[in-house]
Amino acid sequence: MASDSPNSDRKIVVHLRATGDAPILKQAKFKISGAEKFAKVIDFLCRQLHRETLFVYVNSAFSPNPDELVNDLYEAKFWL
Amino acid sequence: MEAREYVWKGAIPLQIQLHESEVTALPPPPPLLILAPRIGYLPLLIPRVKPHFGGALPPGADTVWFDYNGLPLKWFIPTGVLFDLLCPEPKRPWNLTVHFRGYPSNILVPCEGEDGVKWSFINSLKEAAYIINGNCKNVMNMSQSDQSELWQSVMNGDLEAYQQVSLKLKFGVLEDEYIVKKNSISLRSKESSADTDMAGQAKTGRIPVRLYVCGATEDFDELEDAPEIDNWDKISYINRPVEVHKEEGKYFTLGDAVKALLPAIFTDKSFIDEDVSKTEVEDDKNAPCVSQGDNQDVSGSAEDRTEKNCEAVEPLFSSNTAELKLLRIHGIEPQLEIPFSWVVNNLMHPEHFLHICVFLKVARANHR
Repeated sequence: MASDSPNSDRKIVVHLRATGDAPILKQAKFKISGAEKFAKVIDFLCRQLHRETLFVYVNSAFSPNPDELVNDLYEAKFWL
Repeated sequence: MEAREYVWKGAIPLQIQLHESEVTALPPPPPLLILAPRIGYLPLLIPRVKPHFGGALPPGADTVWFDYNGLPLKWFIPTGVLFDLLCPEPKRPWNLTVHFRGYPSNILVPCEGEDGVKWSFINSLKEAAYIINGNCKNVMNMSQSDQSELWQSVMNGDLEAYQQVSLKLKFGVLEDEYIVKKNSISLRSKESSADTDMAGQAKTGRIPVRLYVCGATEDFDELEDAPEIDNWDKISYINRPVEVHKEEGKYFTLGDAVKALLPAIFTDKSFIDEDVSKTEVEDDKNAPCVSQGDNQDVSGSAEDRTEKNCEAVEPLFSSNTAELKLLRIHGIEPQLEIPFSWVVNNLMHPEHFLHICVFLKVARANHR
Protein backbone atom coordinates (compact mmCIF):
# COMPACT_ATOMS: atom_id res chain seq x y z
CA MET A 1 0.00 0.00 0.00
CA ALA A 2 2.48 2.61 1.09
CA SER A 3 5.19 0.91 -0.89
CA ASP A 4 4.89 2.56 -4.26
CA SER A 5 8.53 3.49 -4.10
CA PRO A 6 10.77 2.14 -6.85
CA ASN A 7 12.30 -0.12 -4.23
CA SER A 8 9.20 -2.17 -3.77
CA ASP A 9 9.90 -4.57 -6.64
CA ARG A 10 13.58 -4.97 -6.16
CA LYS A 11 15.24 -8.30 -5.63
CA ILE A 12 17.23 -9.11 -2.57
CA VAL A 13 20.08 -11.60 -2.61
CA VAL A 14 19.83 -14.07 0.21
CA HIS A 15 22.96 -15.88 1.28
CA LEU A 16 22.16 -19.14 3.03
CA ARG A 17 24.58 -20.70 5.41
CA ALA A 18 24.08 -24.08 7.02
CA THR A 19 24.36 -24.40 10.75
CA GLY A 20 23.81 -27.28 13.15
CA ASP A 21 22.97 -30.45 11.25
CA ALA A 22 21.55 -28.67 8.22
CA PRO A 23 23.00 -29.93 4.93
CA ILE A 24 25.06 -27.51 2.88
CA LEU A 25 23.30 -26.22 -0.20
CA LYS A 26 24.93 -26.53 -3.61
CA GLN A 27 23.82 -23.05 -4.39
CA ALA A 28 24.12 -20.75 -1.42
CA LYS A 29 22.81 -17.49 -2.89
CA PHE A 30 19.30 -16.88 -4.07
CA LYS A 31 17.37 -13.90 -5.25
CA ILE A 32 14.01 -13.12 -3.79
CA SER A 33 11.64 -10.23 -4.27
CA GLY A 34 11.85 -7.80 -1.38
CA ALA A 35 8.08 -7.71 -1.20
CA GLU A 36 7.93 -11.37 -0.17
CA LYS A 37 7.48 -12.44 3.38
CA PHE A 38 10.22 -14.19 5.28
CA ALA A 39 7.91 -17.21 5.30
CA LYS A 40 8.73 -17.67 1.61
CA VAL A 41 12.41 -18.11 2.44
CA ILE A 42 11.52 -20.73 5.03
CA ASP A 43 9.13 -22.52 2.66
CA PHE A 44 11.72 -22.55 -0.06
CA LEU A 45 14.33 -24.02 2.24
CA CYS A 46 11.95 -26.64 3.56
CA ARG A 47 11.32 -27.80 0.02
CA GLN A 48 14.99 -27.74 -0.91
CA LEU A 49 16.05 -29.66 2.15
CA HIS A 50 12.98 -31.90 2.41
CA ARG A 51 12.50 -30.96 6.02
CA GLU A 52 9.26 -30.16 7.74
CA THR A 53 10.67 -27.89 10.36
CA LEU A 54 13.62 -25.59 10.09
CA PHE A 55 15.06 -22.79 12.12
CA VAL A 56 16.13 -19.91 9.94
CA TYR A 57 18.17 -17.12 11.47
CA VAL A 58 19.18 -13.75 10.14
CA ASN A 59 22.87 -12.99 10.53
CA SER A 60 23.12 -15.95 12.88
CA ALA A 61 21.40 -13.66 15.33
CA PHE A 62 17.63 -13.96 15.51
CA SER A 63 14.74 -15.63 13.79
CA PRO A 64 12.25 -13.08 12.50
CA ASN A 65 8.58 -13.90 12.48
CA PRO A 66 7.43 -15.30 9.15
CA ASP A 67 5.26 -12.31 8.28
CA GLU A 68 8.12 -9.87 8.14
CA LEU A 69 8.99 -8.61 4.68
CA VAL A 70 12.36 -9.43 3.19
CA ASN A 71 12.73 -5.74 2.31
CA ASP A 72 12.27 -4.67 5.91
CA LEU A 73 14.82 -7.18 7.11
CA TYR A 74 17.24 -6.05 4.46
CA GLU A 75 16.76 -2.37 5.03
CA ALA A 76 17.38 -2.68 8.69
CA LYS A 77 20.94 -3.43 7.54
CA PHE A 78 20.66 -7.11 8.07
CA TRP A 79 22.52 -9.34 5.71
CA LEU A 80 20.58 -12.52 5.33
CA MET B 1 0.62 5.43 38.56
CA GLU B 2 3.31 5.50 35.93
CA ALA B 3 2.35 5.06 32.29
CA ARG B 4 4.31 1.81 32.15
CA GLU B 5 2.23 0.38 34.97
CA TYR B 6 -0.93 1.20 33.06
CA VAL B 7 0.52 -0.54 30.06
CA TRP B 8 1.38 -3.65 32.05
CA LYS B 9 -1.94 -3.76 33.85
CA GLY B 10 -3.94 -3.24 30.67
CA ALA B 11 -6.29 -6.12 29.92
CA ILE B 12 -9.14 -6.96 27.60
CA PRO B 13 -12.27 -8.78 28.73
CA LEU B 14 -12.80 -11.72 26.41
CA GLN B 15 -15.87 -13.80 25.90
CA ILE B 16 -14.73 -17.04 24.38
CA GLN B 17 -17.05 -19.48 22.69
CA LEU B 18 -16.32 -22.95 21.47
CA HIS B 19 -16.80 -23.23 17.71
CA GLU B 20 -20.12 -24.92 17.05
CA SER B 21 -18.61 -27.65 14.89
CA GLU B 22 -16.68 -28.87 17.92
CA VAL B 23 -19.51 -28.96 20.40
CA THR B 24 -20.36 -32.56 21.26
CA ALA B 25 -22.15 -31.95 24.53
CA LEU B 26 -25.73 -31.06 25.34
CA PRO B 27 -26.33 -28.40 26.45
CA PRO B 28 -23.34 -26.69 24.77
CA PRO B 29 -20.78 -25.26 27.21
CA PRO B 30 -21.43 -21.65 28.24
CA PRO B 31 -18.99 -19.04 26.96
CA LEU B 32 -15.92 -18.39 29.06
CA LEU B 33 -15.31 -14.90 30.38
CA ILE B 34 -11.67 -14.17 30.92
CA LEU B 35 -9.45 -11.11 31.31
CA ALA B 36 -6.57 -11.24 28.84
CA PRO B 37 -3.49 -9.09 29.51
CA ARG B 38 -2.75 -6.70 26.67
CA ILE B 39 0.95 -7.51 26.63
CA GLY B 40 0.20 -11.24 26.72
CA TYR B 41 -0.38 -13.71 23.92
CA LEU B 42 -3.47 -15.80 23.20
CA PRO B 43 -1.85 -19.26 23.55
CA LEU B 44 -0.94 -18.36 27.12
CA LEU B 45 -4.65 -18.48 27.92
CA ILE B 46 -4.95 -22.11 26.83
CA PRO B 47 -4.38 -23.58 30.32
CA ARG B 48 -7.44 -21.64 31.48
CA VAL B 49 -9.53 -22.18 28.36
CA LYS B 50 -9.01 -25.91 27.95
CA PRO B 51 -10.55 -27.11 31.23
CA HIS B 52 -13.66 -25.07 30.54
CA PHE B 53 -14.39 -26.67 27.18
CA GLY B 54 -12.55 -29.97 27.60
CA GLY B 55 -15.71 -31.93 28.41
CA ALA B 56 -17.51 -30.88 25.27
CA LEU B 57 -14.81 -31.79 22.77
CA PRO B 58 -14.85 -34.62 20.27
CA PRO B 59 -12.11 -37.24 20.72
CA GLY B 60 -8.76 -36.46 19.13
CA ALA B 61 -5.64 -34.39 19.60
CA ASP B 62 -5.96 -30.70 20.46
CA THR B 63 -4.36 -27.89 18.54
CA VAL B 64 -5.83 -24.70 19.92
CA TRP B 65 -6.40 -21.54 17.91
CA PHE B 66 -8.69 -18.54 18.10
CA ASP B 67 -10.68 -16.59 15.59
CA TYR B 68 -12.52 -13.28 15.56
CA ASN B 69 -15.41 -13.04 13.10
CA GLY B 70 -13.89 -15.92 11.18
CA LEU B 71 -10.38 -14.43 10.97
CA PRO B 72 -7.81 -16.77 12.55
CA LEU B 73 -5.76 -14.77 15.05
CA LYS B 74 -2.00 -14.71 14.78
CA TRP B 75 -0.69 -15.91 18.09
CA PHE B 76 2.64 -14.10 18.00
CA ILE B 77 0.95 -10.69 17.95
CA PRO B 78 0.29 -9.41 21.49
CA THR B 79 -3.37 -9.71 22.44
CA GLY B 80 -3.76 -5.95 22.95
CA VAL B 81 -2.43 -5.24 19.48
CA LEU B 82 -4.84 -7.75 17.94
CA PHE B 83 -7.70 -6.02 19.72
CA ASP B 84 -6.64 -2.52 18.67
CA LEU B 85 -6.19 -3.67 15.10
CA LEU B 86 -9.27 -5.80 14.56
CA CYS B 87 -11.69 -3.91 16.76
CA PRO B 88 -11.35 -0.24 15.76
CA GLU B 89 -14.52 0.47 17.67
CA PRO B 90 -13.67 -1.30 20.93
CA LYS B 91 -16.24 -3.92 21.87
CA ARG B 92 -16.27 -5.25 25.37
CA PRO B 93 -16.28 -8.09 25.96
CA TRP B 94 -14.41 -9.04 22.84
CA ASN B 95 -16.11 -12.09 21.35
CA LEU B 96 -13.64 -14.72 20.26
CA THR B 97 -14.16 -18.26 19.12
CA VAL B 98 -11.84 -21.02 20.20
CA HIS B 99 -11.07 -24.07 18.10
CA PHE B 100 -9.38 -27.26 19.22
CA ARG B 101 -9.35 -28.97 15.82
CA GLY B 102 -8.60 -28.12 12.22
CA TYR B 103 -5.61 -25.82 12.68
CA PRO B 104 -5.49 -23.47 9.66
CA SER B 105 -1.81 -24.04 8.93
CA ASN B 106 -2.08 -22.21 5.62
CA ILE B 107 -2.76 -19.00 7.56
CA LEU B 108 -1.20 -19.49 10.96
CA VAL B 109 2.29 -20.60 11.91
CA PRO B 110 2.18 -23.67 14.11
CA CYS B 111 2.48 -22.89 17.78
CA GLU B 112 3.87 -25.26 20.37
CA GLY B 113 2.02 -23.77 23.31
CA GLU B 114 3.86 -21.69 25.85
CA ASP B 115 7.31 -22.75 24.63
CA GLY B 116 6.48 -21.59 21.14
CA VAL B 117 5.39 -18.20 22.42
CA LYS B 118 8.49 -17.90 24.57
CA TRP B 119 10.70 -18.75 21.61
CA SER B 120 8.96 -16.11 19.52
CA PHE B 121 9.24 -13.55 22.32
CA ILE B 122 12.96 -14.12 22.82
CA ASN B 123 13.53 -13.89 19.08
CA SER B 124 11.70 -10.59 18.93
CA LEU B 125 13.81 -9.39 21.82
CA LYS B 126 16.93 -10.42 19.91
CA GLU B 127 15.67 -8.68 16.81
CA ALA B 128 15.11 -5.52 18.82
CA ALA B 129 18.59 -5.81 20.30
CA TYR B 130 20.00 -6.19 16.81
CA ILE B 131 18.27 -3.03 15.68
CA ILE B 132 19.37 -1.07 18.74
CA ASN B 133 22.92 -2.35 19.18
CA GLY B 134 23.79 -3.96 15.87
CA ASN B 135 24.12 -7.34 17.58
CA CYS B 136 22.24 -9.37 20.11
CA LYS B 137 25.05 -10.17 22.49
CA ASN B 138 23.18 -8.78 25.45
CA VAL B 139 20.34 -11.25 24.94
CA MET B 140 22.61 -14.15 24.01
CA ASN B 141 24.77 -13.58 27.06
CA MET B 142 21.82 -13.69 29.39
CA SER B 143 21.90 -16.68 31.68
CA GLN B 144 19.25 -19.34 31.25
CA SER B 145 17.72 -18.48 34.60
CA ASP B 146 17.61 -14.76 33.86
CA GLN B 147 16.01 -15.48 30.54
CA SER B 148 13.30 -17.61 32.09
CA GLU B 149 12.82 -15.05 34.85
CA LEU B 150 12.32 -12.39 32.19
CA TRP B 151 9.78 -14.57 30.43
CA GLN B 152 7.98 -15.38 33.67
CA SER B 153 7.69 -11.70 34.48
CA VAL B 154 6.00 -11.08 31.13
CA MET B 155 3.70 -14.07 31.59
CA ASN B 156 2.71 -12.91 35.05
CA GLY B 157 2.54 -9.24 34.13
CA ASP B 158 5.02 -8.50 36.90
CA LEU B 159 6.54 -5.16 35.94
CA GLU B 160 8.82 -4.96 38.96
CA ALA B 161 10.41 -8.34 38.27
CA TYR B 162 10.70 -7.43 34.61
CA GLN B 163 12.51 -4.19 35.35
CA GLN B 164 14.90 -6.03 37.66
CA VAL B 165 15.92 -8.61 35.07
CA SER B 166 15.83 -6.39 32.03
CA LEU B 167 18.37 -4.06 33.65
CA LYS B 168 20.87 -6.78 32.83
CA LEU B 169 20.18 -6.29 29.15
CA LYS B 170 21.57 -2.76 29.44
CA PHE B 171 19.36 -1.38 26.72
CA GLY B 172 19.46 2.05 28.31
CA VAL B 173 16.65 4.53 28.11
CA LEU B 174 16.02 6.83 25.23
CA GLU B 175 16.70 10.33 26.41
CA ASP B 176 13.35 11.81 27.26
CA GLU B 177 13.45 15.07 25.38
CA TYR B 178 10.50 16.45 27.23
CA ILE B 179 12.02 16.01 30.68
CA VAL B 180 15.39 17.27 29.57
CA LYS B 181 13.87 20.32 28.03
CA LYS B 182 11.62 21.05 30.99
CA ASN B 183 14.55 20.83 33.36
CA SER B 184 16.78 23.03 31.32
CA ILE B 185 14.03 25.59 31.13
CA SER B 186 13.35 25.56 34.83
CA LEU B 187 17.02 25.61 35.73
CA ARG B 188 17.70 28.38 33.26
CA SER B 189 21.00 26.76 32.49
CA LYS B 190 22.24 25.94 29.03
CA GLU B 191 23.80 22.59 29.64
CA SER B 192 24.02 21.88 33.31
CA SER B 193 25.87 18.78 34.34
CA ALA B 194 22.77 17.45 36.04
CA ASP B 195 20.99 17.21 32.72
CA THR B 196 23.75 15.33 31.03
CA ASP B 197 24.06 12.95 33.96
CA MET B 198 20.43 12.05 33.77
CA ALA B 199 20.59 11.33 30.10
CA GLY B 200 24.04 9.85 30.39
CA GLN B 201 22.94 6.24 30.01
CA ALA B 202 23.49 4.46 26.76
CA LYS B 203 20.90 6.03 24.55
CA THR B 204 20.14 5.00 21.09
CA GLY B 205 18.81 6.55 17.96
CA ARG B 206 17.25 3.46 16.38
CA ILE B 207 13.91 2.33 17.63
CA PRO B 208 12.43 -1.06 16.74
CA VAL B 209 8.87 -0.57 15.54
CA ARG B 210 6.20 -2.94 14.33
CA LEU B 211 3.61 -0.99 12.41
CA TYR B 212 0.27 -2.46 11.41
CA VAL B 213 -1.48 -0.52 8.68
CA CYS B 214 -5.10 -0.96 7.66
CA GLY B 215 -6.26 0.91 4.61
CA ALA B 216 -9.80 1.48 3.47
CA THR B 217 -11.03 3.06 0.28
CA GLU B 218 -14.41 3.97 1.69
CA ASP B 219 -14.53 6.92 3.96
CA PHE B 220 -15.63 6.32 7.48
CA ASP B 221 -16.32 8.99 10.04
CA GLU B 222 -17.41 6.74 12.82
CA LEU B 223 -15.08 4.01 13.92
CA GLU B 224 -17.92 1.54 14.04
CA ASP B 225 -18.25 2.03 10.30
CA ALA B 226 -14.65 1.10 9.71
CA PRO B 227 -14.51 -1.82 7.32
CA GLU B 228 -14.15 -5.21 8.92
CA ILE B 229 -10.87 -6.98 8.45
CA ASP B 230 -11.59 -10.47 7.21
CA ASN B 231 -8.20 -11.24 5.74
CA TRP B 232 -4.64 -10.68 6.93
CA ASP B 233 -3.69 -9.50 3.45
CA LYS B 234 -5.59 -6.31 4.19
CA ILE B 235 -3.06 -5.38 6.82
CA SER B 236 0.41 -4.18 5.91
CA TYR B 237 2.91 -5.31 8.46
CA ILE B 238 5.84 -2.94 8.47
CA ASN B 239 8.95 -3.59 10.50
CA ARG B 240 11.24 -0.69 10.02
CA PRO B 241 13.37 0.91 12.67
CA VAL B 242 12.80 4.59 13.26
CA GLU B 243 15.88 6.78 13.34
CA VAL B 244 15.43 9.46 15.92
CA HIS B 245 16.67 12.73 14.49
CA LYS B 246 17.39 15.61 16.73
CA GLU B 247 17.02 19.15 15.72
CA GLU B 248 17.86 22.16 17.78
CA GLY B 249 14.81 23.44 19.60
CA LYS B 250 12.44 20.77 18.31
CA TYR B 251 11.19 17.46 19.54
CA PHE B 252 11.27 14.41 17.40
CA THR B 253 7.59 13.65 17.71
CA LEU B 254 5.41 10.60 17.25
CA GLY B 255 4.18 12.32 14.10
CA ASP B 256 7.76 12.56 12.81
CA ALA B 257 8.18 8.85 13.43
CA VAL B 258 4.99 7.98 11.55
CA LYS B 259 6.10 10.29 8.77
CA ALA B 260 9.38 8.43 8.51
CA LEU B 261 7.57 5.09 8.41
CA LEU B 262 4.86 6.11 5.97
CA PRO B 263 6.29 8.91 3.82
CA ALA B 264 3.64 8.22 1.18
CA ILE B 265 0.86 9.71 3.27
CA PHE B 266 2.64 12.99 3.68
CA THR B 267 3.24 15.48 0.95
CA ASP B 268 6.86 15.62 -0.13
CA LYS B 269 7.26 19.31 0.39
CA SER B 270 6.26 19.31 3.99
CA PHE B 271 8.31 16.22 4.55
CA ILE B 272 11.41 18.25 3.81
CA ASP B 273 10.59 21.40 5.62
CA GLU B 274 7.91 21.65 8.22
CA ASP B 275 8.13 25.40 8.55
CA VAL B 276 7.41 26.00 4.91
CA SER B 277 4.26 23.95 5.10
CA LYS B 278 3.05 25.95 8.02
CA THR B 279 2.45 28.87 5.71
CA GLU B 280 0.36 26.71 3.46
CA VAL B 281 -2.28 25.88 5.98
CA GLU B 282 -5.42 24.86 4.22
CA ASP B 283 -8.76 24.44 5.84
CA ASP B 284 -8.81 20.70 5.94
CA LYS B 285 -11.73 19.47 7.94
CA ASN B 286 -10.27 16.05 8.48
CA ALA B 287 -7.75 17.02 11.08
CA PRO B 288 -5.29 14.19 11.47
CA CYS B 289 -4.60 15.11 15.06
CA VAL B 290 -5.87 12.12 16.88
CA SER B 291 -6.75 13.81 20.08
CA GLN B 292 -10.03 12.36 21.22
CA GLY B 293 -8.29 9.64 23.21
CA ASP B 294 -10.08 9.09 26.48
CA ASN B 295 -6.99 8.04 28.37
CA GLN B 296 -5.59 11.46 28.96
CA ASP B 297 -3.62 10.21 31.91
CA VAL B 298 -1.19 8.28 29.77
CA SER B 299 -0.31 11.17 27.54
CA GLY B 300 0.13 13.05 30.79
CA SER B 301 3.21 15.16 30.96
CA ALA B 302 3.44 15.96 27.29
CA GLU B 303 -0.06 17.27 27.03
CA ASP B 304 0.34 20.93 27.78
CA ARG B 305 2.98 21.43 25.14
CA THR B 306 1.15 19.71 22.36
CA GLU B 307 -1.89 21.77 21.73
CA LYS B 308 -0.49 24.75 19.96
CA ASN B 309 1.52 22.61 17.57
CA CYS B 310 -1.57 20.79 16.51
CA GLU B 311 -2.42 22.83 13.47
CA ALA B 312 1.11 22.69 12.19
CA VAL B 313 0.76 19.01 11.48
CA GLU B 314 -2.49 19.30 9.64
CA PRO B 315 -1.29 20.27 6.18
CA LEU B 316 1.41 17.63 6.22
CA PHE B 317 -1.10 15.08 5.03
CA SER B 318 -1.87 15.10 1.41
CA SER B 319 -5.59 14.72 1.17
CA ASN B 320 -5.47 13.17 -2.28
CA THR B 321 -3.35 10.14 -1.45
CA ALA B 322 -4.03 8.78 1.99
CA GLU B 323 -5.22 10.18 5.21
CA LEU B 324 -4.44 9.06 8.71
CA LYS B 325 -7.74 8.27 10.38
CA LEU B 326 -6.56 6.72 13.57
CA LEU B 327 -3.38 5.83 15.35
CA ARG B 328 -3.55 3.55 18.32
CA ILE B 329 -0.98 2.29 20.79
CA HIS B 330 -2.10 0.17 23.74
CA GLY B 331 -5.67 1.21 23.12
CA ILE B 332 -4.98 4.91 23.42
CA GLU B 333 -4.93 7.45 20.65
CA PRO B 334 -1.90 9.55 21.45
CA GLN B 335 -1.51 12.96 19.87
CA LEU B 336 1.07 13.09 17.13
CA GLU B 337 2.90 15.94 18.82
CA ILE B 338 4.04 13.89 21.78
CA PRO B 339 7.82 13.48 21.89
CA PHE B 340 8.62 10.11 20.37
CA SER B 341 11.10 9.41 23.16
CA TRP B 342 8.27 9.53 25.68
CA VAL B 343 6.19 7.17 23.58
CA VAL B 344 9.05 4.72 23.24
CA ASN B 345 10.09 4.76 26.88
CA ASN B 346 6.58 4.35 28.19
CA LEU B 347 4.59 2.48 25.59
CA MET B 348 6.99 -0.08 24.20
CA HIS B 349 6.21 -3.74 24.67
CA PRO B 350 8.40 -5.90 26.90
CA GLU B 351 10.28 -7.25 23.87
CA HIS B 352 11.42 -3.66 23.18
CA PHE B 353 9.28 -3.22 20.10
CA LEU B 354 6.82 -0.38 19.82
CA HIS B 355 3.63 -1.75 18.24
CA ILE B 356 1.59 0.91 16.43
CA CYS B 357 -1.77 0.37 14.75
CA VAL B 358 -2.69 2.81 12.03
CA PHE B 359 -5.89 3.17 10.04
CA LEU B 360 -5.68 4.99 6.74
CA LYS B 361 -8.24 6.21 4.32
CA VAL B 362 -6.77 5.56 0.91
CA ALA B 363 -7.93 7.39 -2.19
CA ARG B 364 -9.53 4.99 -4.59
CA ALA B 365 -7.34 5.93 -7.54
CA ASN B 366 -4.17 4.94 -5.73
CA HIS B 367 -5.54 1.80 -4.25
CA ARG B 368 -4.46 -1.37 -5.90
